[in-house]
Amino acid sequence: MQAKRVLVALAGTSADPDVINVAVSLAKPVKGEVIAVHVVEVPWHLALDAVLDAELDRGEELLDEAARVAEQAGMRIETELLQAREAAAAIVDTASEKKVDLIVIGMPFRRRMGRVYVGRTVQNVYVGAHCAVLAYRQESPE
Amino acid sequence: MTDEPKDIPSLEKRERLAGAKVGDRRVRIVRPGGGQFKKTHGHYVATERIFAEGRGLAGLWQRTVRLLVGRRLTTEAEGEERVPVATGLPILASDNISSSAYATEEAMRVLAIAGAAALSLTMPIAIAVVGVLAIVVLSESRVIRAYPNGGGSYLVARENHGTIAGLVAAAALLIDYILTVAVSTAAGVAAISSFVPAVHDVRVPVSLALIALITVGNLRGVREAGLLFAAPTYAYMVAMFGLIGFGLFRVVSGGAIEAAAPPEPFPPTGTEALTMFLVLRAFASGSVGLTGSEAVANGVPSFRKPETRNATITLVLMGTIFATVFLGITFLATRIGVVPDAHELETVNSLLTRSIVGDGSPWYYFVQIATAVILLLAANTGFTGFPRLASVLANDRFMPRHFADMGSRLAFNSGILFLAIVAGAVLAAFDGSVTALVPLYTIGVFLAFTLSQSGLVRRWLRERGRGWRASVVINSVGTLVTGVVLVVVAITKFAFGAWMVILVLPIIVWLLWSVHRHYRDVEDMLVLPSLTAAVPTVPQPVVIVPVSRIDRAAAQALAFARSISPHVKAVHIHTSRESGERFNERWQRFAPEIKLDLLESPYRSLLQPLLRYIDAVDKSDDRPITVVISEFVPAHWWEWILHSQTAVRLKAALLFRPNTIVIDVPYHPEDSADLVRGPD
Repeated sequence: MQAKRVLVALAGTSADPDVINVAVSLAKPVKGEVIAVHVVEVPWHLALDAVLDAELDRGEELLDEAARVAEQAGMRIETELLQAREAAAAIVDTASEKKVDLIVIGMPFRRRMGRVYVGRTVQNVYVGAHCAVLAYRQESPE
Repeated sequence: MTDEPKDIPSLEKRERLAGAKVGDRRVRIVRPGGGQFKKTHGHYVATERIFAEGRGLAGLWQRTVRLLVGRRLTTEAEGEERVPVATGLPILASDNISSSAYATEEAMRVLAIAGAAALSLTMPIAIAVVGVLAIVVLSESRVIRAYPNGGGSYLVARENHGTIAGLVAAAALLIDYILTVAVSTAAGVAAISSFVPAVHDVRVPVSLALIALITVGNLRGVREAGLLFAAPTYAYMVAMFGLIGFGLFRVVSGGAIEAAAPPEPFPPTGTEALTMFLVLRAFASGSVGLTGSEAVANGVPSFRKPETRNATITLVLMGTIFATVFLGITFLATRIGVVPDAHELETVNSLLTRSIVGDGSPWYYFVQIATAVILLLAANTGFTGFPRLASVLANDRFMPRHFADMGSRLAFNSGILFLAIVAGAVLAAFDGSVTALVPLYTIGVFLAFTLSQSGLVRRWLRERGRGWRASVVINSVGTLVTGVVLVVVAITKFAFGAWMVILVLPIIVWLLWSVHRHYRDVEDMLVLPSLTAAVPTVPQPVVIVPVSRIDRAAAQALAFARSISPHVKAVHIHTSRESGERFNERWQRFAPEIKLDLLESPYRSLLQPLLRYIDAVDKSDDRPITVVISEFVPAHWWEWILHSQTAVRLKAALLFRPNTIVIDVPYHPEDSADLVRGPD
């Protein structure tokens, strides 16, 4: 499978640089494109387009950092900042709109009740996406 | 796009997008700044990214500047740029400390005219100079306490004696800072040429190169300049303390020290009688060692908090170090019996070092090199003082405003560059000669001292705060002593060049005053009677669009003209009736709804008929006039010469025309998207 267009979903966790590097390593050899997306989840008591400066600033910062990591790996990437009620739906819809071949999504190594915790967003993207999905889990610290 | 909340930041674009399911809408946020602006506390802050490096020559220039000057610093970093005592001492006190290298010699050279016996007066003169310094240090510490924001003598004199006295003090200090740079550089180069005689012939270019080097160091900011200059200052202190310590040890231990003989000593009998005037002249020459002692009081804001305390500690340290080295050298030189060289072939400092540590000793070279370097770096005191004083004067509107603007490294770039240019010019004009420059020196410092000391006396008498009596006594003695030194220096050095300073000083005062008068007049013209007065409404203007050709640039200018007013007139200047008719015919097809005035210019002049046409429209219409000029901007700078620049000439001609607004509509060839854009 050739990943010509890859969407990377970034959540601002420690897994982000790894996920970017994975996406670049897949897209660069085939001269593909990488789109990094960060979704700010808006609580239900606020309007969808409420001005959330602190969250947007943080989002912009982590997208800038992603662009920097990608540039170090030898690739210029596109970035997109979104606001939505649920991150997974926004990621899946953006993937459809951009006609990507692959979504790469990362998760830091976390445990809940003794089991590795996958998280709602990763699960929902996995289930909802029409394209291929690659979930990257950080290695266990032990 | 849907209607957006009112508080959407103006540099942000929001797009509402539908999702696959009804509830899955999302908002795409586009921040066109691309990281160039950050939003903090409800307002935008420009980030370092706005300085994206250009390409070609411009980019090369920017990269070179950054390489030389260093990374940009934010205003918040100013606190970090401030210096502790350890760095402040070399920055602000190196001038004064370095004077100890030649103050003894300056006094001895005058006394030696009266013969070798007169040299015994060197020590009493040195003690008198140190006494004056002690009074100056004590008085200056009061200045620091009373005026912690710097400005020194200028502020003190201005607040207590009035504006003119303040400007006299400021002018005196400005002159002195320029001379500090010129004299120190010349002296440093002279010290180098003692080692390397070949330098003597190229002393002016070498001096100018050294000034350029110190300028770059200062453009990098106060802290870095301090770090750069700290090592040589401390090396000089180690060299001199070591020399004096060893010399005293040899004197105390009873060993006879033989004085090294200079190549051409002064004749032991003397050529003049020992008069009071000669003694005073020797004192005035020795007082050269007091220059630079005002720099600390002027530079209080350069210090870390607590500024006042750190500045006072630096001032006292400076005085102690100078006094120790100066008295030590003078004591040893007179005790050993060193005689100065009649033709400045070897310095007293060098002779003394040779006498104590012997010819060819490594310590001799260490002392000489350390002396040469500190003399060169003493110029840095001028670079610290001048820009700061100029910034204070600029804030008070006595100097052009850009002297108050901080550069990318929080240094006052305009002041630094101005000082470098003027000091370089003075140095070149005097052919890099220390002997010619020194008489101009010191008069400014003592004038500023006298004004600030007497100013403080008035302040204490007016305020009568705690301990005012002691302060009045200290500053009165300071006024008297510095005043006497001023008179002595002015009289004894007048014929040797001090007259130039006395001549230039009132001119500078007049210039400062004229600048102030201009700013005051401008402010009177611009000030609003009240902030609550409504912004005035003006009628829509008559817009004149000069059109030379019907093309994209003209279409863009006309479109813009119509967006600001319905009263648009196009005007075309032609050289023959036929060309006018042809133009009119094309115009009627292009924009028949816009009125076109055709002007025939049989003398082929373009600008004059156009200006007279604008005059005529102005007289026949009460509405304001706006001229919209379309300007083609070539892709490369060298393509400019291929175009006639009519737009530039027209703009220049209209700049000084009253009641005329000139709007430039540039057309860039690479900009394929026209200015006229429809809604997104």
